Parts: sequence; structure tokens; C-alpha cells
Amino acid sequence: MNNTISSENRLHALDAVRGFALLLGVAFHAALSFMPGWPPGIWAMNDNSPSQFLSDAAFVTHIFRMSLFFFVAGYFGRLLYQRLGASAFWANRGKRIAIPLVAGWVVLFPLISLIWTIGITKVFGGTMPPMPEMPKVPGAFPLTHLWFLYQLLLIYVAAIAVRSIIARLDRNERLRGLVDKAVTASLQAPIAVFTLGLPVAAALMSLPFWFYWQGIPTPDQSIIPQIPASVGFGTAFAFGWLVHRSRDALSVIGRRWFVHLVLAMIATGWLLHTMHASPMAQPGVTKTLFAMIFGVAVWGWVLGLTGAALRFLSNYSATRRYIADASYWIYLMHLPVVAAFQVWVGHWPLHWAVKYPFILIASFAILFVSYHYLVRPTFIGQLLNGRKYPRKPLSPGATPAPASPPPEDANNGGPVAQMRGITKKFGAVTALNSIDVEVRRGELLAVLGPNGAGKSTAISLWLGLIEADAGEVTLLGGAPQDIAKRRGLGVMMQDVELPKELKVRELVRLAASYYDDPMSVEETLRRAGIEPLANRAYGKLSGGQKRQAQFAVAICGRPQVLFLDEPTVGLDVQAREALWTSVRRLLADGCSVVLTTHYLEEAEALADRIIVITKGRVIASGSVDDMRALVARRQISCDSQIPLDDVRAWPGVVDAQRTQERLQITATDAEGVVRRLLAADAALGRLEVRQAGLNEAFNELTREAA
Amino acid sequence: MNALALKSIALETSRGNALGAYFTETRFELTRMVRNPGVAIPVLAMPIALYALFALVIFGEAIDKDANVGVFMFWAFSLMAVTMPALFATGVTLALERDMGLLRLKRAQPAPPAAWVVAKIVSGLTLAVLAYTPIVIVAFAAGKLSLDAGQVATLSGALLVGTIPFCALGLMIGSLVSGPAASSYALLVYLPGCYLSGMFFPLPRSMDWQASIWPQFHVKEFAMHLAGIAPHREPLLVAIAVMLGCTVMFAGVTIWRLKQKG
Repeated sequence: MNNTISSENRLHALDAVRGFALLLGVAFHAALSFMPGWPPGIWAMNDNSPSQFLSDAAFVTHIFRMSLFFFVAGYFGRLLYQRLGASAFWANRGKRIAIPLVAGWVVLFPLISLIWTIGITKVFGGTMPPMPEMPKVPGAFPLTHLWFLYQLLLIYVAAIAVRSIIARLDRNERLRGLVDKAVTASLQAPIAVFTLGLPVAAALMSLPFWFYWQGIPTPDQSIIPQIPASVGFGTAFAFGWLVHRSRDALSVIGRRWFVHLVLAMIATGWLLHTMHASPMAQPGVTKTLFAMIFGVAVWGWVLGLTGAALRFLSNYSATRRYIADASYWIYLMHLPVVAAFQVWVGHWPLHWAVKYPFILIASFAILFVSYHYLVRPTFIGQLLNGRKYPRKPLSPGATPAPASPPPEDANNGGPVAQMRGITKKFGAVTALNSIDVEVRRGELLAVLGPNGAGKSTAISLWLGLIEADAGEVTLLGGAPQDIAKRRGLGVMMQDVELPKELKVRELVRLAASYYDDPMSVEETLRRAGIEPLANRAYGKLSGGQKRQAQFAVAICGRPQVLFLDEPTVGLDVQAREALWTSVRRLLADGCSVVLTTHYLEEAEALADRIIVITKGRVIASGSVDDMRALVARRQISCDSQIPLDDVRAWPGVVDAQRTQERLQITATDAEGVVRRLLAADAALGRLEVRQAGLNEAFNELTREAA
Repeated sequence: MNALALKSIALETSRGNALGAYFTETRFELTRMVRNPGVAIPVLAMPIALYALFALVIFGEAIDKDANVGVFMFWAFSLMAVTMPALFATGVTLALERDMGLLRLKRAQPAPPAAWVVAKIVSGLTLAVLAYTPIVIVAFAAGKLSLDAGQVATLSGALLVGTIPFCALGLMIGSLVSGPAASSYALLVYLPGCYLSGMFFPLPRSMDWQASIWPQFHVKEFAMHLAGIAPHREPLLVAIAVMLGCTVMFAGVTIWRLKQKG
């Protein structure tokens, strides 16, 4: 189960990377009307406010964006091939790649031509200059920005062919096993960033005319495969494929993100510096070096950005999912939209720092709205992303329909929260030592233990506030750090003060805004039994009332699991009963509750199960009755001279101590022991019998555990 | 009306989307500020009081002779007006809230992590506007400002953008020190910058080298560039880069620190 979660998480991260690479393409093209020194006619518009900064930024993004895309495509390519088999793979790729290529070209080419004609006419002051004809070479064809789909199809064909040859030659998978090891080791070293750049560097060095700025020349003019692009993007695809093959490669990439990004930045800095000195490659050492370092930059960015996504974006996020889904459509359609805005604003007397953001924002607005209404709920969305979403109004920030199931479905029947083999140290102190705990659906688990036992540490782990040194913590079937999972929890902590200026009603409303489907404020206050306090400022409440307000804040989001850390400290009897009643009602509604407490009667009143933690270990766990038996011991004390060893030997005596005159006995059968005491010592005085407190019970349990 | 209000509240909260959380967080942050004005009054009153003292009383005649002195006074105290609340309103309240355990609670709740940051920055900006507006009014009313309306509008916009690195600096201080110590540390960082960046008086040449250490210097350059007020001491892009760099660095330390300690 753990593997499923982590591999799904990886897919979220890679989806995010692919979406990023595509959206970056929009930003790249939007910058191209601002390039200083470009001759008129090379792009749809030459803006009157050129920008060296945008030129450099565009160069930097262009180093890696397509390689990044092909790398992720390689990873998903193998995943799909493994999952679907050959024929379904080709059917799928036909629908997702070939149809958009053909249909997209038919729709987009006339639009792009139109915008270019208008733009270039404007650039040349109203007269259209004679356009250069398509080069008269075999295979010449204006693929436009859709070339990447064509290239991808070619690479698929090559990849499947190579795969079948290798499968035939390497029947016992020895070769492939070696390759897997080499892939992981080269990432670990990290030398992959250097070796992977070599093929593309060789292809670039061999170019007779190479403008450094263009990086890998875009193969958009011909249907004959171009060598640099095929080598560069083919390597990226192949490595993505191999990373999917190799079990550990992806996690190494996730760990090495920082090193890779640093290498990328250093390499990029050098490239920029060199390019400023001379933009056109001259044969010689500099060209060779430029090509080699260009390769390092490509792979530094590809591996660094992928790693950073794996590290930071691996959880499910509805917004990211939406953007990732939208990115394919947006990239397909963006060129005429972006170019139209570039042409429109090209002669405005404004600085590029105003015009460029305007083009981007306006284009994205149009493209996202078109995606939301024309694509997401229609057959186009079905075609591009394999899924049609129900139509929903586009309200600002509305969370789109999640592609992955909501938490309650993800984890039906299983424990709602779990710890396996958890160890957590703070410096030299071991707060939790290899503990296993689970919270089942609809139960109340009481966690008992003396101060400093590790209860709050356990709760903090489940709340995602700290991370364990070893072991696995899950909340609602996922990592507690995942905010989507935490939307299923409610929490009342110790030692927390809420803002004193706000009224109770406002505190509840604020907390409710964090949840997808909270209760109304009135309902929450009623359930917490504090309607009369609704309009009182938090700072004016008594200690007990503050706890009640915190309880209301904890339950307002209809939690599936509620964490209550010492909730009734400072409450009077009536308020405590009211709180217990609301907790019972939540339990009846199917909510699970984790309660830490010092009061045994609180655990008895509410709990289905109890665990006792001391010194970071679970020393006892069981039903309330089991625990009651454990602590059904009583303390007997009296002034008496009976020898200790005699008393210790009596049935029903767990322990006996003497402090000065006073004899202290812990007994399971207090009545029997008292009878015997009175019979044995006629001079016995100041007899006292009392229930052993939890602390005493814990102390004994701890002694026994040690 | 009550029923209607309740219904709209229910609707508002039932949506529970991320934007709703940002909005609600910001709204209540502002509510808190209004209900507890003690924190805000000093940072609101000081800049206008100092401007009135220097521009109207002490240097009143000098300004009438040389309009540049008026411009200098105006942007110096405007800069103070916008940056001070940004620093103090965010930093001190963050430090106090950390002491209250409130941040720990917010991290445990599914509060969008950036919602409270946005709320703090918006309240910092609001205070900045409140502190800055009286200076503009007084400057124009007293005829001590020789800039046209367009320039003042651009300058105002630029100054507001310039508060962002100071918000980030405030958050960093708030994340590093305890509540009671926060305002002292904020002053310790802020005041030397005001003097040594050449904001209040032209620096002697021998001290020029260190002016660019202080964020105030770059915000000033940024605003002057955009408003077209000469002379410039560094290119616009450098000023933008430094402001951006400071914001990223301060915010980075804040995030790192809050992750470590909460």
C-alpha cells in the first residue's frame, strides 16, 4: 500500500513538471517580440521596447524546456506501454498525440498565418514585404509549434523498435539490470548530468551555423528528422524511459535536486556570459566548450527541476492537477493568441515591463477560460486528457473537480491514522521509540501517559508538525503533510491562544474557511454548546470558555478524525459534560477521535480503546475494562510496625514500602489486605485507603515494563 | 436581514475554497488591527509628524527656494511611512503569534500555508497606505511638492511595491525572535538603514560605498526611476533585482525557520 501511495505521489510531481514545461513555452513565445537585434519579419512582431533581460530569460528557459518535456514523456511512455501493452498503447497515442497534431495543425496554421501577415505588415509600416518561400528541399513543411508532437511520435516508433530488439537480445534481462544500476549510480554520483549532455553536445558541435541563443535548433520546418533535435530530445526521452525502468532512480533524482540545480545555474551563468561576448558560434574551442556546457545546463535543469518537484510537489493538489490538465490544451492553442497580443501592443509607447506581463496575463486568461468551458467538460478534454469533467461554474479560486478520489474514498475501512515503527528523537532524548499505533474508523482512542511520555509528540506527528526519524505515519491514507489529507482533521491543541481581538463566531468562521464542506457557524456553536458566547471577544473569556471555543474551532470542518490534546483541563463539571456529549455525537456520526488526557474517568466515559505511553513506548493497550483492571489498585497507608517482607508476601499485595513510621501498600484486593492488617497489628493507626491515581498506576506499569 | 446575512455567511464558508481562506484570513487580520489600534498608532503618526516638523517648520523656507529639497523631504518621509508599518505590523505580530502557539495550530489545521502570509502583507500594505496618505495631502496642501500628479501616482505605486521586501524582513525577524523582543530588533535593523542609506540626509562621499547595503536605498532608487526623478545612483534593473533578492532571501529564512521551530 505504501508503494502505491508513493508511486502515485511521484506521478503528481511529474505531471506538475510536464505542465510547467508546457506553460513555460507560452512564456517563452510571449517574450519573442521583445528580442533586441532581431531583424524584422523573423517573428510576428518586433516590439518598440526590446529587452535584453527577456532575451536572456528566454534563452535560459529554452535551454531545458523541451528536453524536460521529452524526459517526462519518456517516463510516462514506458509507464503507459507497461500498463496497456503494444496495441492499446498505439491506440492511446494515436488519440492523444496524432489527432491533436493533425486537427491542431488544420485549425492553427491558418490562424497563425493570418496573425503573422497582420503583424509583419504592421512591422514594415503597412506594406507586406515579399515573404521568403519555404526552402525547396525534400520534406519541407511548416509544422509550427506542433513539431513537438510529430517529434514525439517519431521517438515513440524508435523507442518501441529499440525496446523489441533489446528484449530479444537480452532475454534474461542481465543487460537491462546493469543499465538500471548504471542509471541509479550515475545519478547518485552525480555524473549523469555530464554524460547525458555529451550526445547533444556532439550534434551541436557539428552544426555549420549555430546561433548560441537558439540552443537545439527547432525542427519545425521539415518532416525529415533533424539530427540535433532527434539526438537531444531522443536522449531525454530514453533517459526518462530508463528512469521508469530503474526502481530507485526517481528517488535519487528527488534527493539530488539541489546539486543538479546548482550545476545548472553555474553552467547557465557561463553560457550567458560567453553568448554576450559573441552570439554566433565560431569554429574552435569556445564552440566545443559551449556545446559541452550547454549539455550540462540542459541536464542540470531537467534533473534539478524534476527532483525539486519530487521533493516539494509530490502531494496531490487540486489546483496543480487542474493546471497540469489544462497545460496541454493551453500549449497547443497559445501561439495565435500570444502573437495576436504581441502584434496589438507592439507599437504602444510603454515599457516592456508593462507589456510583457500584460501579454502573458491576457493570454493565460483567455486560454484558461477556453479550457474551462470548451475543453474540460467536452469531448476535447476527453481526447486530450483522457477524461471529461462535469461542468462547474468557474468561480475565482474554485477548486476544480479532483481527479484523484477524496480522502474518505481513498481509505475506506482502513485505519484513519496510523504509525508504524515510529522513532522520534529530540537531541539526546528519545521521545518515541519504535511505536505502532492505529486509530480505527469511528472509534475513540484515548492516549494516556504521564507528562513527557511522548503523547504530544505522537499527536504532532499525526498533525504533520514534525517528521519522524524512522517509520511511517499516515493520516487518512496519506502523508499528514498533505494539506488535502489534513482537510479531514480537526484539532484542539494544548498551550494555544487564539487572537484575543476576534469574537468566538469569527474564530469559527475563519477556521471553517480552511475546509471544503464545513458546518455553518451557528451549527458549530450549538454543537459545542457555546451559543451564548458567540459575540464575545476571545480575550474576554475565562480559561474554560476558551477551551470550549477551541473545541468549536476543532469541529467546524466536519472532521473525519479529531485530535483533542487534554481538552477538558480547566473546564467545570457542566462544561466538561457538555463537551463529552458533543464528542459522543461526533463518534456516532462516524468521526474518529484521538484524545490525550490525564483523567482516567474521561477515558472511561468516552474511549473504545486506551493506550498507555511512557518514556516513548506503548506499555499497555486494550479496552477500557482491561485498563480498569490494571489500575484497580488501591493505595493503603497506615502507621504500623509489621515487617515489610511479611506484607509483601500477602495475597493481593503488589508492592509495599515504608517511609519512617508510615507503611505504604499498593494492593489489588484492598479489603482483604486491610482485614489482615487490622488482625495482625492491634496498634495500627491512621489507616487510609484511596484509589491509585493514574500516575501511580503509570509508575508501576513503567517499573514493570522496565 | 439577519437570516439573509446568515445565509450569505453559510454560503461563503461552505465554499471553503483556497481563495475563500485567503480572503477570510486577510479580512480578520484587518479586523484585529482595527480592534487593537495600539500597535498601529505609533507607526502611523510618526512619519507625518516628522514630515510636518521638517518640511513645514524647519526647512520650510529652504524648500521654497529650492524645490528639490521639497522632493527630497517628501520621498524620504514617504519611504519611512510605507516601510515602517510593513516591517513592524508583520514582524511584531508574527512573533507574538508564534509565542501564542497560533502558528503551530494553523500549520496543523488545513490552513493554506501562504494565507496568513498574504494576510500579514495586506495588513502591512493597508497600514502603509494609511501612513502615507496624510503626507501626500499635507505636502500638496502646503505647496511643498513640485511633482505633478502623474509622478506622485507612480511614486506611490512604486513605494507600495517597495514595502514587500520590508514585509518579508518583518516576517523574518518575527520568525527568529520572541514577541517582546521583536520590536526592539526591528528598530535595530530599521533605523541604521534609514540613516546610512542616505534617506534622511545626503551622505558624505566617504560613506557612499555602504549605502547600497540597505534595502531602503534600493526601494528609493526604484521609486525615483519609475517616477522619473533624477539623479539615479543605480540602474532600475539592479534595484528590482536587489528588492527581489531581499524578498526571496528573507522569505526563505522565514520559511526555513518556521519549518524548524513553528
